[in-house]
Amino acid sequence: MAAPRPTILHNRVALLLAAAVAAAALTLPFLSFAPNRLLSGRGIPLAGALAGVVDAPWGWAALLPGAVILAVPFLRPSRAVSAVYSAAGVLFAAGLVWLAGAHAAHLAATSAPAARTSFGAGFWVMEAAALLAAMDGVRRLGLPPAWRIAVGGATAALVAAQLAAGHLDQLSILKEYANQRDVFAAAVLRHGLLVAGALVPTLLIGVPLGVLANRSFHVRRLVFPVLNVIQTIPSIALFGLLMAPLSALAGALPGLGISGVGPVPAVIALTFYSLLPIVRNTVEGLDGVPPAVREAARGMGMTRRQVFLKVEVPLALPVFLSGLRITLVQAVGLAAVAALIGAGGLGAIMFQGLFANALDLVLLGAVPVILLAVAVDAALKLAVSLAVSLTGRRAA
Amino acid sequence: MAKKRAIGAVAALALGILFATGGAQAADTVRVSSKLDAESGLLGTMILQVLEANGIPTENKVQLGPTKIVRSALLAGEIDIYPEYTGNGAFFFNIDSDPAWKNARAGYEKVRQLDQEKNNIVWLKPAPANNTWAIALRRDVASPNKLSTMEDFARWVKDGGKAKIAASAEFVESPAALPSFQSTYGFTLKPEQILVLAGGDTAATIRAAAEGTSGVNTAMVYGTDGAIAALDLAVMQDTKGAQMVYEPAPTVRAAVLEKNPKIREVLDPVFASLDTETLRSLNAKISVEGQDPKQVATTYLKSKGFLK
Repeated sequence: MAAPRPTILHNRVALLLAAAVAAAALTLPFLSFAPNRLLSGRGIPLAGALAGVVDAPWGWAALLPGAVILAVPFLRPSRAVSAVYSAAGVLFAAGLVWLAGAHAAHLAATSAPAARTSFGAGFWVMEAAALLAAMDGVRRLGLPPAWRIAVGGATAALVAAQLAAGHLDQLSILKEYANQRDVFAAAVLRHGLLVAGALVPTLLIGVPLGVLANRSFHVRRLVFPVLNVIQTIPSIALFGLLMAPLSALAGALPGLGISGVGPVPAVIALTFYSLLPIVRNTVEGLDGVPPAVREAARGMGMTRRQVFLKVEVPLALPVFLSGLRITLVQAVGLAAVAALIGAGGLGAIMFQGLFANALDLVLLGAVPVILLAVAVDAALKLAVSLAVSLTGRRAA
Repeated sequence: MAKKRAIGAVAALALGILFATGGAQAADTVRVSSKLDAESGLLGTMILQVLEANGIPTENKVQLGPTKIVRSALLAGEIDIYPEYTGNGAFFFNIDSDPAWKNARAGYEKVRQLDQEKNNIVWLKPAPANNTWAIALRRDVASPNKLSTMEDFARWVKDGGKAKIAASAEFVESPAALPSFQSTYGFTLKPEQILVLAGGDTAATIRAAAEGTSGVNTAMVYGTDGAIAALDLAVMQDTKGAQMVYEPAPTVRAAVLEKNPKIREVLDPVFASLDTETLRSLNAKISVEGQDPKQVATTYLKSKGFLK
């Protein structure tokens, strides 16, 4: 698996990340401290945050892994260096969060209760560089993709431990969470249900449609232009357009529980958007099955049904799963807009934040959406690579 | 055929699961809702807490969506009660040129009558707090120039006062907003005296004035904005009534009110107690200090004896 390592190129990646960390540490504010929720904060540089942490005199140790990230571009590449680089990325990502939490707690002890400490630009740049370094280390070790998930999971676990311990409670985003505690879990659940609720009809309609389009040129010529046009409708417009006919339907058939607002139009709109990638990748997956394989299967005496289930489906599976990945990631993002038609979910929290000009409340809604999308993306990438290795064996 | 039926059953089941979580409701609960903004959320929460405390079972649908969504949900019978502003009647019934909207009492009577006749929706007693558009100045500009009313402001601008206002595009362009102020009080702001903020939220305009962004010293505000006092701005009194009056009142479906006549009895004194200053200070606790709206509502209701 391990490809020959282009030493200069990987050094360039590490050099870029090191430069980003150094520049962010020296020039960008690490945290932002505002007297209240509405006013803009004043920036606190990394050095200031470090000096402020008097409660933990060894607080600077949280930044030690950062030194590794700065040093790696100048080291001779080896497997050991790559492993240390990856570990340093994970620890630095968690350490930055720890430092932010510690300094926020320090500031909270000496200021009015309305004061807010938020992450600054420097934090975000260094956090991103740390995660990229962790992933780059895994890549250079030539490990399978599952390892990237493990590294991401390790970082998440280190941050989650700090969350659970209450170490981050004085950060502004957690103060927003405290106000939303009653509804936050329900919002995450509702968000997932909206996506899952759209996935079921998408698969029930999209897969048969894709198979038909693969078999019939006429169906294909009809289906794709329609789905392409749907994809170009702005999401807010589609949500809005669905309100009128659904309200009319609800008026005509009051017993069905259908309504113009809430989850029903959201699920319908999400289904419309989800159809294109599913149908397209079903068709492409089936198109990609070599005619020779199909004929050989027929020659072996398989029925049409057996050819479809035992030959075409497994060979088309990786491309289909890629389509499913695109569909799900897209639906996770689009479901946020559904809050505007009363469907709830994490979008409701984001829009409350936008209305109140409270950026940390926007973040509280946006960060779980991003994490959800990343998790779905990683899980399906893993599924694709599993499917490839399975069908690869079967084809061989 | 059997296969198709199976697919239909699966789809029905999936949708059923989805809506069992959202659509479940007992026949007798009162579904309390509100719009997305902080003040609406606070008022919705107050309604919720007061009804609960008086033994009326409720379902929490607070901060459901923007005006259009919440209003159509009420008309469609998907929610039962939510706080709405009297002036919005002008847009619900498409009669925004009617002078009644600029008078608190006449506007309330008008929307109460129209909604009762056309939609069977009851408007309960409004709070004596006008959440309309207003113009506010930094206190360090208003005090030395002795500006407290729109007439003062107009005189100051005409005499060459260096006002620079941060406002939404809607405020600048809508005939009912800045143009109405200008024609009523006879002043004109030059284009270079107006900074249009794309988002158009008063939190952003107030912040611009408080921080003096791009030389801004004047802000578009809503009458009950919490940030006004906290960020040291002074609101110019609309003495000639250039703006429509927007007083918040619970709007409730008549059928639900009939079943629970106590709703009117317990909510009227609560809304009567919410004058402009009170609402401003409660809003400030939420939008400026970032306190939990539920806690703010409970503390206020207890301090006034509406909750035990």
